[in-house]
Amino acid sequence: MKRPRIAAVVTEYRRYSHAQHILDRFLWGYGWEGKHHRPEMDLVSLYTDQTPEGELSRSRSQLFPEMKIFPTVAEALCRGGQQLAVDGVLLIGEHGKYPFNEKGQHLYPRYELFQKIVQVFRDSGRSVPVFNDKHLSWNWDWAVEMVNTSRELGFPLLAGSSLPVTRRIPQIDMPLGARVSEAMCVAVGGIDGYDIHALEAMQSMVERRRGGEVGVDWIHAVKGVAPVMKALEAGSFDSGGWDPDLFRACLCRSHRLVPARQGFSHHLPTSKEIRGLMEDKDNHNTPVLYRFQHKDGLKMSMLLIEGIVHDFTFAARLADQKQPLSAQFFLPPREVCNFFSPLVHATETLFRHRRTPYPIERTLLTTGLTAAGVESLFRGQVKLKTPHLDMRYQPTKASTYWRT
Amino acid sequence: METRRKFLEVATATALAGSLAPTVAAAEKPKKRIAIITTLWSYLRHGQHIGDRFLIGYPWAGDWHHPELEVVSAWVDQEPTAADRKSREAEYGFPQGDLSQQRAQEFGFQRYPTIAEALRCGTRKLAVDGVVIIAEHGEYPTNEKGQKLYPRARIFGEVVKVFEQDKRAVPVFNDKHLSYSFSKAQAMVSASRRLDFPLLAGSSLPVTWRMPEMEVPYDSRVKEALAVGVGSLDSSGFHALEALQCLVERRRDGETGIRRVQLLEGPAVWKAREKERWSPELLDAALSRADIVKGLTLVDARPQDLTTPGLLEHIVPEPAAFLIEYRDGLKATLLMLNGAVGDFTAAIRVKDHPHPLSTKFLLPPDPNVAYSACLVHQIEQMIVTGKAPYPVERTLLVSGLLESALDSRFQGQRRLRTRHLDVTYRAPRKSQYCRV
Repeated sequence: MKRPRIAAVVTEYRRYSHAQHILDRFLWGYGWEGKHHRPEMDLVSLYTDQTPEGELSRSRSQLFPEMKIFPTVAEALCRGGQQLAVDGVLLIGEHGKYPFNEKGQHLYPRYELFQKIVQVFRDSGRSVPVFNDKHLSWNWDWAVEMVNTSRELGFPLLAGSSLPVTRRIPQIDMPLGARVSEAMCVAVGGIDGYDIHALEAMQSMVERRRGGEVGVDWIHAVKGVAPVMKALEAGSFDSGGWDPDLFRACLCRSHRLVPARQGFSHHLPTSKEIRGLMEDKDNHNTPVLYRFQHKDGLKMSMLLIEGIVHDFTFAARLADQKQPLSAQFFLPPREVCNFFSPLVHATETLFRHRRTPYPIERTLLTTGLTAAGVESLFRGQVKLKTPHLDMRYQPTKASTYWRT
Repeated sequence: METRRKFLEVATATALAGSLAPTVAAAEKPKKRIAIITTLWSYLRHGQHIGDRFLIGYPWAGDWHHPELEVVSAWVDQEPTAADRKSREAEYGFPQGDLSQQRAQEFGFQRYPTIAEALRCGTRKLAVDGVVIIAEHGEYPTNEKGQKLYPRARIFGEVVKVFEQDKRAVPVFNDKHLSYSFSKAQAMVSASRRLDFPLLAGSSLPVTWRMPEMEVPYDSRVKEALAVGVGSLDSSGFHALEALQCLVERRRDGETGIRRVQLLEGPAVWKAREKERWSPELLDAALSRADIVKGLTLVDARPQDLTTPGLLEHIVPEPAAFLIEYRDGLKATLLMLNGAVGDFTAAIRVKDHPHPLSTKFLLPPDPNVAYSACLVHQIEQMIVTGKAPYPVERTLLVSGLLESALDSRFQGQRRLRTRHLDVTYRAPRKSQYCRV
């Protein structure tokens, strides 16, 4: 088989940007299944929307001359010609200087860049697989349009975070067809950036439940110490919080649990100690909580409490099981960020076999949840019905996270 | 309102079981009593991060586990020196003194001035059901071979003396290698056999999580093995050698001992590759498991292929290779590659497997150092059941291997015959590393 040629359309190629982590893996390869793996495809063209001082696209292109830089998306996809001249497109619209709207959403131009990509497809009468890093767009309608366009033009579209595919501690997955009543993710970061990672991590687990995914009925987001502490002390989902066993399991799965007591290196904090950590003058993070319920009754809580933990953990209540099922989504240190390796591997599957290793509907739903969470906060932390998130899909039977 | 909030806090604390004091329900069970014998109990020293887990519990299988053990006494040899306190205060931002006194007050155990008194809890007879020896960290001399002379054999000797005098012996755990001296280590193991008490020792690496999960098929024909480690030869070298040993000991016919040991440093390490004394293919496999890569990765985050010809030579100015020849012909190597990676990884060639098996031994970061929870779980199992979950001979052999390697280095990197390392044992069939 001919080596597929890949074009990259990115917002910014600098150290630690997503474009750097992903594209560098195409250029240098990465550790995979016990050896240094080099993708059997070539990154041949690059469009970068912004080129701030110190960015890497120019020096990378000098090191890897086969990766040519083009001034427009269309030229990158046509490699200077008139027709689409690549076999796959990486769209990495994360990082770079873009405005925020009044809701706090970072207006990355993923939809706009996607439109330019599909314009080339339309003009060339041919489409190739596209990978979109993270959520599809900050704008729900645009995200729906992106998925619809991929269906209309008949090309596979893969998207999302690396969290669903990274390693897990322990190495477990949600049993396919499990009856799940409630799930929780405890994570780090803020809205419209890290919420999507946490939501995708949870979704990759709960979509495997009995009946598959059926959509989300409502969402209620709050932020700040007072409402989050109120939820923490509520004692159950139905009284405005979550199942305390799930929270405890998440904290027990953390490997980066901040000690509330000086001189102790690892202890489970009490709610009072958690409040103390949240109110600590050195903790500049605002806690965020999204609570939402799926149409089949599944209850979900996504809690961002950086300063209490510094990692992503998950727990779920399964029918007939005393102990929650729980795991940590493993994020190795950022110098190498090897959690991008399984994500890049998924894009290789996409480009080589023209099929998505996991459904785009997952990321469409989490894109909608992210936007709905932000909207709930913007409207004064109110509960919102989400009739538009009536999405049904089935997961892949086989697990797709990194175990090899 | 205030009352209600207080009630909720208490209720939630109980639900979380996050209170450091053992819960009432747990306290009702009769617990085995243990003594902690340590060189130093200060923040993030082994004495603290292992010792504390017996007091406040630790995460296990997605829950917070309170050990079925009660710390009733302690002996602590040293307090941090002024210089040590000062440098660590700068690093951690809070006072770094001895913690054992405040732990004793908070958790209701007694510190004693001698080991014998700690074991007898001030009475005239052995008054504990288990002894946890953590003689790592503290100010002790280093010999000309580069071995830090922790007084483990001496401490163990005092413990054994109490067992002998009181005509009762209880399970003992010894953190890290048994002793810097193989003959002392042998004497420790002999004493445990003579007095018939379970002895467990060693590093957390054999029992921590592996990424990915990987175990050497039991009774398989192992062709060659290689581990990569970082840090100092004596202290970190021990961890890496135990990680390597816990893989190869599962081979067909079990462990038979070590025939020769050589420690190479500098360019000789790369020359040994050319002479096929260690396998570049196994190194590739081990390095592919690293999640912390250095060199130019630190500059611009590129994911390097560390096997690019000449690269390791460039970024590892002071490599070291432990070349190990087992009595049954197996060859194994530990490469210490400071400057290239920050992880402990290993690869092993097993007959009938087309590619080497390889993995990373996960060491979660400071301050939680969650790997020590995996070790404490094994210690707890031993004391509760009275049975060591894996053989102390592993640690005995590795203690001797490390000593011989440092001898080799001291004698000009000579290849040494190690007739004394005829340690034979069978590893348990059941995997011992953490998968929960």
